[in-house]
Amino acid sequence: MTTEPVPILELHGITVNYGGIRAIENIDLVVNTGEVVTLIGANGAGKSTTLRAISRLVNPLSGKIIYAGKDITRARTDEVVKWGIAQSPEGRRVLARQSVLDNLRLGAYTRSDRAEIERDLQQQFALFPRLAERRHQQAGTLSGGEQQMLAIARAVMSRPRLLLLDEPSLGLAPLIVIEIFSIIRNLHAAGVTILLVEQNARLALQNADRGYVLEAGAITFSGPADQLLGDERVKQAYLG
Amino acid sequence: MTDFFNTYGNLMVLMVFNAMLGLSLYLPLMAGQLSLASPGFYALGGYIGAVFSTKVFQSSDGAFPVSYVLLEMLVGGLASGVLAIVVGIPALRLRGIYLALATIAFVEILRVLSLNLTITGGAIGIFGIPQPFNRPLKYLYIAGPLLLFSMFFMYRLERIRAGRALTAIREDELAAGAMGINPTYYKVLAFTLGAILAGMVGALSAHFLNTWNARQGTFDASITYLTFALIGGSRTFVGPVVGAMLLTALPELLRFLGGIDQLPQSVRDLFLNGRLIIFGLLIVLGTIFFPQGIITPRLWERRRRTKAVRPAESNL
Ligand SMILES: Nc1ncnc2c1ncn2[C@@H]1O[C@H](COP(=O)(O)OP(=O)(O)OP(=O)(O)O)[C@@H](O)[C@H]1O
Ligand SMILES: [Mg+2]
Repeated sequence: MTTEPVPILELHGITVNYGGIRAIENIDLVVNTGEVVTLIGANGAGKSTTLRAISRLVNPLSGKIIYAGKDITRARTDEVVKWGIAQSPEGRRVLARQSVLDNLRLGAYTRSDRAEIERDLQQQFALFPRLAERRHQQAGTLSGGEQQMLAIARAVMSRPRLLLLDEPSLGLAPLIVIEIFSIIRNLHAAGVTILLVEQNARLALQNADRGYVLEAGAITFSGPADQLLGDERVKQAYLG
Repeated sequence: MTDFFNTYGNLMVLMVFNAMLGLSLYLPLMAGQLSLASPGFYALGGYIGAVFSTKVFQSSDGAFPVSYVLLEMLVGGLASGVLAIVVGIPALRLRGIYLALATIAFVEILRVLSLNLTITGGAIGIFGIPQPFNRPLKYLYIAGPLLLFSMFFMYRLERIRAGRALTAIREDELAAGAMGINPTYYKVLAFTLGAILAGMVGALSAHFLNTWNARQGTFDASITYLTFALIGGSRTFVGPVVGAMLLTALPELLRFLGGIDQLPQSVRDLFLNGRLIIFGLLIVLGTIFFPQGIITPRLWERRRRTKAVRPAESNL
């Protein structure tokens, strides 16, 4: 029973410059509702830039971003968060001086349904017992893995339909990485569509439906994840 | 007791004024924005009060009506608020030291304007601003409630959604943005609220000082208000209020200490004439021993909510 894929996000020819310097050029990318799509590539390939363009944290020079059928190329970040795109940024960026609880509450910043927010909080704590134990601890004093969990939980607090994860495995011990990826699978099972940026290409492709390979600001390969995992060129460059 | 109030009435009013000016600098600081523009808005409010009460309202002899003063404060606050929005939207794109420099330039531009315009009385300024009260201390009837209201407002602000947004921006603007907080909106909001407060204080201050001129809004004042927040603490609104009151009272305290006969003459001289030396010393010692200022939220939070060691914190 294959149903027609419904795109939730489409990038058409997105180009982003920083000052005069081109970071990404002419990116075409589609994420369908219910998928886990991964974007892999080396340092400086432009992965974070692509996510920032989607979250509207940088302005594309040209191209079009369509989300749920709506053109969001010129929308504001707070608008797209409200419409259901959340990002867990690279390097986690938890608010170090604030408690775990306050960080999570800020994740729900664009929402006003108090009772539902409280329910979602409890749900996050059920999902992340380590965060529940440390709810009053300052986020800056959490371990790297706990901070990553907080960053993901915080993004989920906005009730996203599309979750953008920027290198969630960065700098974490292998066991913690496995834990993070099982969390990502749980979120996906709960119905969240995920665009995952990773340098750990093998793990990312193993957990994704489809993948895109970004090289020096342009997409060089794309396709079903298992196909990319078997591709000789991808193997050589990214799977060691 | 009446003696005390007669002697220190002026000082007490100044302490309350300065507490509010400290708050006006603290507001944008809540969002991590170091703006030194407050003296500009203070000066603008003062000129509005001075011009209205000497040129527009023609009161007969006797005390100047308090209701007019309140009206001037309203106009001074509104004018400052509008100017703050106009200036703030472009200026708050700048970060850190560049914003500080731009706001210094803003204060300077207003000062030069006031030196050269006819309506502001040029270099001489405006004299004979009428008095609504027969004693300086009575200015507290207006300034006191305004300070209390501002403090209550700040207390609430630090606890509601907007306050949490400001703190989030101060900590990490990109992360705050990613959570759907609009940094520009909140930065301009905090800057504007601070400007409104400074403008209102300025209008009242013009009456209090009886005269208003270009020396009211200077770079020196910018640094003074910044010191209020640095010494008092910039993590809660109580910091700049306490800092302003202490630093405003300090010269009087030194004068008092310098008058004690039992002290050696050299020490008395230091107290009486070495005010700036002592100020400088206090600032240096203060930043070493109280890097976050005297008042920090930890004083009352204790370890109630937030356990464990906090990461190193800086002052701003
Ligand atoms: N704020 C910025 N200003 C100027 N150049 C930038 C900025 N951010 C990124 N760049 C440049 O844009 C290019 C793409 O950067 P980006 O952060 O998107 O890469 P990335 O694929 O996420 O890399 P990494 O895996 O190291 O995170 C790089 O050459 C980088 O130097
Ligand atoms: Mg990156």
